Amino acid sequence: MFNMSDNEIVFRVAGAAGDGVQSAGLIMAKTFARSGLYAVTYNYYQDIVRGGESWYQVRASPKKVRNQGDGLDILVTLNEDGLVRHTNPNINEGGASSLSGIAIFDESITNYEKQQKVDYRPMPLSTIAGKYSKNPLLKNTVALSAAAASIGIDFEVMAGVIKETFGNKGAVADQNVQAAKEGYDYFKAHYPPYGKKLDFSKRKLYLIGGGEAVGFGAVKGGLKMYTAYPMTPASSCLHYLASHARKFDLFVKVSEDEISAINMAIGGNYAGVRAMTGSSGGGFALMTEAVGMAAMLEIPLVIYEAQRSGPSTGLPTKTEQGDLNQVMGASQGDFLKIIFAPRNVMEAATLTAEALNVAERFQTPVFVMVDLYLAEHSETVENLNFDFRIDRGERPKDGQANYKRYLITDTGISPRAVPGQEGLMHNEDSDEHNEYGDVVSDAVTDPKDRIKMMEKRMRKMQTYINEMPPTETYRADDAEYLVFQWGSTQGVVEEAIDLLRKKNIKVGAVEINRVFPMNPDIGKIIKSRKKIIVVENNYSGQYNSLLKSRFLCQTELITKYDGESFFPGELATSIENAIKR
Amino acid sequence: MITVNDFNGKVKPDWCPACGNFSQLTAIKGALTELQIEPKNTVIVSGIGCSSNLPEFIRAYGFHGLHGRVLPVASGVKWANSDLTVIGYGGDGDGFFEGTQHFFHTAKRNVDITYIVSDNQIFGLTTGQASPTSEIGFVSKSTPDGNIEKPVNPLTFGLAAGATFVARAFSGDPKHLTEIIKRGIQHKGFSFIDVMSPCVTFNKLNTYDYFRKRVYKYEAKDLKDFSAAYRISEEWGDKIPIGIFYEIESKRYEEMDPVEVEGPLVTHPIYSVKDEDLEELV
Repeated sequence: MFNMSDNEIVFRVAGAAGDGVQSAGLIMAKTFARSGLYAVTYNYYQDIVRGGESWYQVRASPKKVRNQGDGLDILVTLNEDGLVRHTNPNINEGGASSLSGIAIFDESITNYEKQQKVDYRPMPLSTIAGKYSKNPLLKNTVALSAAAASIGIDFEVMAGVIKETFGNKGAVADQNVQAAKEGYDYFKAHYPPYGKKLDFSKRKLYLIGGGEAVGFGAVKGGLKMYTAYPMTPASSCLHYLASHARKFDLFVKVSEDEISAINMAIGGNYAGVRAMTGSSGGGFALMTEAVGMAAMLEIPLVIYEAQRSGPSTGLPTKTEQGDLNQVMGASQGDFLKIIFAPRNVMEAATLTAEALNVAERFQTPVFVMVDLYLAEHSETVENLNFDFRIDRGERPKDGQANYKRYLITDTGISPRAVPGQEGLMHNEDSDEHNEYGDVVSDAVTDPKDRIKMMEKRMRKMQTYINEMPPTETYRADDAEYLVFQWGSTQGVVEEAIDLLRKKNIKVGAVEINRVFPMNPDIGKIIKSRKKIIVVENNYSGQYNSLLKSRFLCQTELITKYDGESFFPGELATSIENAIKR
Repeated sequence: MITVNDFNGKVKPDWCPACGNFSQLTAIKGALTELQIEPKNTVIVSGIGCSSNLPEFIRAYGFHGLHGRVLPVASGVKWANSDLTVIGYGGDGDGFFEGTQHFFHTAKRNVDITYIVSDNQIFGLTTGQASPTSEIGFVSKSTPDGNIEKPVNPLTFGLAAGATFVARAFSGDPKHLTEIIKRGIQHKGFSFIDVMSPCVTFNKLNTYDYFRKRVYKYEAKDLKDFSAAYRISEEWGDKIPIGIFYEIESKRYEEMDPVEVEGPLVTHPIYSVKDEDLEELV
């Protein structure tokens, strides 16, 4: 086992769907953030509106936290089932740890087997709540404030978050604050504080979810139109953009299906605004034909692809990195497709903005691939309003003589006219065409034009590769063993590396956020290492296959496909075993 | 002054001689000229099929996309730049098979697009299979024993969906066709024009002669009368009415969307995020 840090708290709230688990977790996360603590959340829920089991975890620390963490200090449980599940030493929640700390729950729950590592803190949650309102969810607020009291969080900080959550002024907000105060005082009067002390601070932190960050990043990147069809876990981005459409001057449309959504976005980009579409694997499957069309007509297009467990409907509320093969293979024929996979919440914002620039400069489809874990968990970030310069790519001047929409160039990129421009009228065609956009596939197929156009479009790949930033690594300089990760597993892989380094194992990581085209510098990075290990949240190792076929290397594969993310201790053990194999 | 020559494309149409698409191309150019709409402000979005090759043959901004996906692309174009005149163009297979859901929802949304369907009641480009508008008993490569599936009625479908302008025209009457297309473009909202367009190569049933014997010009007493429009849309057989069956004024999608209403999206400045916009996340 690996020892976890003392300078942090892992908090978890558990209950059934409809109990308000997620909003309770968010209140706690925000309270931590406002106390100057870095926080990462984890959302465990089911495909059900009422009932079932769900929980929401928040890890908080005055030091930066990179994942949901191991261990569990404080459990707030809203039902008996949650108490039994999360105190069980043989917990079966996808890698999450059982409680080794305090449990806060309503005193009416009495039917449970006592566990050694648990300090039970029954409270009159419902009785306190009942004094202020008939709404049974008010007891959540009482329990949260008790948890805050246990680690010495300033009540005013929590009260501020509660007020905002319940609409600032008004009876509901007041009731919640009053009930919270009573819960806070009750805990302090009846129980000792929890054994860990955290260093609170005044640092300003934003708390934002991955899907929201994609939406925000898109706005920073000049997005004007978002068209989509609802699908978990892509919807957190849709909801953010829809609820901020007026503020950010955005056109947002949910259309009749994903086919329509992607074709609308293509139409928007064609006509000169930055447009984006988004879905999860099943919905994206419907979009695939249009991906190739955007490439053929050389229309910029950003596609947000938020993966969940497949195949088919799969585990709709669970995470996986299982769509890479689908995205790689989307649409017939050869063309440049660029795939980004942000590694954390902040990067979800910055890479989405970059994707919009790259799509417009290279006039080709660019994917922002995340997974459910990234899309639906929140992280604290500093300086969210990052600097970004919009680059709208090469555009011809109005009235330019002998305009060729698909001009053959060394870079493969041709100046792109949009409707409304004087004198540049032309046809953009999904059939093969010549430099003017005239079809060369119908009356007479012209093999020379075909070859020229294929090579022109494919030339954009080398142009893009030439400007790729160096691949990022973590503690890799002296590493004998290298762990490859892509996308959201960065934080957990880094922590696993740190744990193994403490055991003097020379291991480091390669952290991939620009998945395809693959950066040629990877060839140099993997030279002379004892072992290459690939970590993926899927069954077959989809990135592993790409890596091996491109760089002809031997690898060890670590996968997880139970629907949950990796947890740091579990991953460190897997890496250690892979090294020994 | 815009003349018809301004719309002449440099590529000659490659349709079969006497194909009904020729007169539609002429009619579209004629209507745009009469309305003095500039080629630079005209976008023609098509799908896949013989008729969908049209954007290549006209000097305007052309978009020749995917089978069935005319209207989502056209909607995206219109929403990006509502100053443009956007014409959606495709065949009956494109619009009433693969694109059915888009037809229904675009009509319902009342996006300001003119949707012209070259309806030849057969698949031409794939060399002659029954289409969604093929008649019962119609013999084709895919229905050697005769079509047993009822044809769709695009006009009643369009009405049911909520199209605010519904019309039928005939490729064999180019003057009337031009007038209908002109009215469709002028209409503020979603206008749908089903053009009976004989396929001279593969459809030996619904020929020019077939239609010339049957079509008559319908003049609606009250274009806003939905029931009358529905009844006339159902008429098909010995007599086939052509003309505008229905037209009402209704709010366009672009008028109702709070962002669109501020003017063409392409003219909106890029939003510059201020720190105070992010305070809700602190």
